[in-house]
Amino acid sequence: MLPSTVEDYLEAILEITEKSGRPATLEEIAAALKTGKETASSTIAALVEEGYLERMGGDAVRLTEKGAALASKTARKHTVLLCFLTEMLGVDTDSASREACTLEHGISDDTIERLSTYMGGDLPLPGRTRRRRGRETVTLLDCNEGDTARVALMRGQGGGHRRLLDLGIFPGEIVEVRRKLPNNSVVVRVKGCDIAISPEIAGSIFVESCP
Amino acid sequence: MRIALIGNPSVGKSLIFNQLTGLGVEVSNYPGTTVELQRGNTCFQREIIEIVDLPGVYSLEGNSEEEDLVRRFLEQEDVDAVVVVASATRLERNLYLLLQVAEYGLPMVVVLNMVDEAAKQGLDIDPGPLHDLLGVEVILTAASKGLNIDRIIPAALAASRPAKVEIPYDHHIEAAIRSLGKMFGVDRKESLRALQGFGENPELLEAARTIADEIESRHRMTVAQIIAANRHNFARRLAELTVREQHPPPGADPDSILTRFIPGMPILIAVLVGMLLSVFVVGSFLEEMIVEFFEVYAVQPFLALGLHPLLEELGVSVLIALQAGLGIALPYVFLFYVIISILEDSGYMTRAAFLADNVMHRLGMHGGAVIPLTLAFGCNVPAIMSIRLLRSRRERIIASFLVTMVPCSARTVIIAGIVAGFVGLAAAFSVYAIVFILIILTGLILSRVMPGERFGMIMEMVPLRRPEPRLVMKKAWSRLSEFLFIAMPLLLLGSVVLGLLEFFGIMTVFEGIVEPYTMGLLGLPGYSATALIFGILRKEMAFETLAILAGTADLGAVLSSLQLYVFAVVTVLFVPCLATVTVLLREVGSRITLAVTVYTVTLGLLIGGFIHHLFS
Repeated sequence: MLPSTVEDYLEAILEITEKSGRPATLEEIAAALKTGKETASSTIAALVEEGYLERMGGDAVRLTEKGAALASKTARKHTVLLCFLTEMLGVDTDSASREACTLEHGISDDTIERLSTYMGGDLPLPGRTRRRRGRETVTLLDCNEGDTARVALMRGQGGGHRRLLDLGIFPGEIVEVRRKLPNNSVVVRVKGCDIAISPEIAGSIFVESCP
Repeated sequence: MRIALIGNPSVGKSLIFNQLTGLGVEVSNYPGTTVELQRGNTCFQREIIEIVDLPGVYSLEGNSEEEDLVRRFLEQEDVDAVVVVASATRLERNLYLLLQVAEYGLPMVVVLNMVDEAAKQGLDIDPGPLHDLLGVEVILTAASKGLNIDRIIPAALAASRPAKVEIPYDHHIEAAIRSLGKMFGVDRKESLRALQGFGENPELLEAARTIADEIESRHRMTVAQIIAANRHNFARRLAELTVREQHPPPGADPDSILTRFIPGMPILIAVLVGMLLSVFVVGSFLEEMIVEFFEVYAVQPFLALGLHPLLEELGVSVLIALQAGLGIALPYVFLFYVIISILEDSGYMTRAAFLADNVMHRLGMHGGAVIPLTLAFGCNVPAIMSIRLLRSRRERIIASFLVTMVPCSARTVIIAGIVAGFVGLAAAFSVYAIVFILIILTGLILSRVMPGERFGMIMEMVPLRRPEPRLVMKKAWSRLSEFLFIAMPLLLLGSVVLGLLEFFGIMTVFEGIVEPYTMGLLGLPGYSATALIFGILRKEMAFETLAILAGTADLGAVLSSLQLYVFAVVTVLFVPCLATVTVLLREVGSRITLAVTVYTVTLGLLIGGFIHHLFS
């Protein structure tokens, strides 16, 4: 089951139970999620299995503590995004609300993609360029002394090393390779300053091309 | 009234601080950190003004200890005005920090330093646009010439407004700032920090993370990258308004020699070897003078007094401690620090770190480790203190092992005094060779077995410049006094205890007990064990103690060359001195300190025993 499906069900059940003050029935859930009763029934069974829901007699269910925590987290996320989009688009709450709902799925799918790539141990960003640009990626290590290149992407924890950003090396910036030792340590000039970088970090800075 | 100086590393901030404050500068560690903070006072129009020199940083949002300290200082301490010192020669990069400081909303004065160097590089600086945009006073200074430094304090006292500038961020970021502001009532600065994962409030952080994920899925950049790029681009616009390049700078670039593999590497080796040689040659000359002076003008007259034997023993112990302390501290340590300060202030240290990066990598650390390892030749204490330069705990642990094995100036005294003096020069160098091989082997092994992530080097090559003699001396002096402060009391205490033990005959009993073991393992007489133990207090005391216990300064007459050689090797490798252990405890904790101690003792005894059995 996709994490986004879990979140959607739990959030819907939270909304129903809060509104009515009693356990949510299969019918209510299926209606809230605009899905068939059969699909809803099997999903609910799986959620009970995973400990998010507990059966309350008949086809009614209630959130467990674990389920309630995840449901309210999802609801909070929803509110935050709603607010953010309102601010960003400058639209009235109603249309922003619709936007936020479709958006939530959008993020979730992307989150899944990212999660799976992260778990695979590989970071998504360089892979993406390879697809987008359809050619071999080039890093600072492929540049020679005297080359000037534009930074395209930086990988590493949280999108590259913080210190690099603070020293002025970020995607879009133009850097000049001033020195490259036989062991691949490099010195780049950026913003009039020379920055020495170890080979493994230089290898995490992707550039658009080296002349 | 309190004023804080803040700026990038090597923008002349310390020089300005030194010119603003007189004597009575207090160096202290900021509570809960190991980062040093300098505070000094100055008097202006009968008011005492405290000036705080914050450590040089590139940003307020990094995760280094220095950046954290500066951030906390700006948030928590009661500061009346901040003086942002920026280098006119690298204005764009310096403005990046200035813009972050401006977001803290404290009354601000901007100092554009090094205008003389900027002029030499053909840069024309116009403070007008910056003054108009920021709405704060902008002062052009040249600290090395003392130009306009006197305008800083009056300007800081008059400063009442924060900079009015607001960085225009990407519209997603601006929307995020507004959302977080509406939901949590936080200001612009806090919202920005929360988006980058900094802050205390978990709900705010969770919401910020949600928005950040959303923004990141729409950009090809992380939120931190977008914010940094916005700030840098705004800084560039400000810099373009302020700086006009009149004519291209002259072509000579010393880095074309210093950082190229050839001849950079030979130059690096020559610098390190030259540094050690000059310390040894000049140092031993000065040491002899000081020791001789003490002997003639203090020890001899004291003995001539003919006091009660116990009093005489105590007095001589104190005098010997002072003699040893000053004889080591002044010539070796002071000289060493003068040279290190010159290397640091001239900017060569960063070139050395760049060149050494690869070698240090094999030992499990990055190029910055060349600094503690070189410092260690002077004294392990400041070297251990400087392992903070290394960012990961893994590197710091490896460095703490290797640094404590490096023969410091005190151990050099043993090698020079015992081995070079009584066995021969070649033998003295072979002791170094043994130690270096062991250091390299230890590093190779530790870098394989130590768990943890490897971090690389990201380091600014600070501009090369002529070191300021006054600043070099001041730095060297402050480090020397720190050394004396740690070492002197221990040395006095140790010497007195030794004197008393000797006086009451306890030492003889102890020696009788350990003699069979030292004889069997190392081929050394019992009293050498006493000397080794006192070597823990201060390394060179092992030498002094051995001479005292042997009853003669002519050690060659009572011990064979092999015995002297084994003694020197064991002492050099044996436990780090007490002062080193103290700082080790503070930097890496008790478990690692214990491991380092056990390792060095075992290594010392093993190698010593091996040499004894190989050659006897």
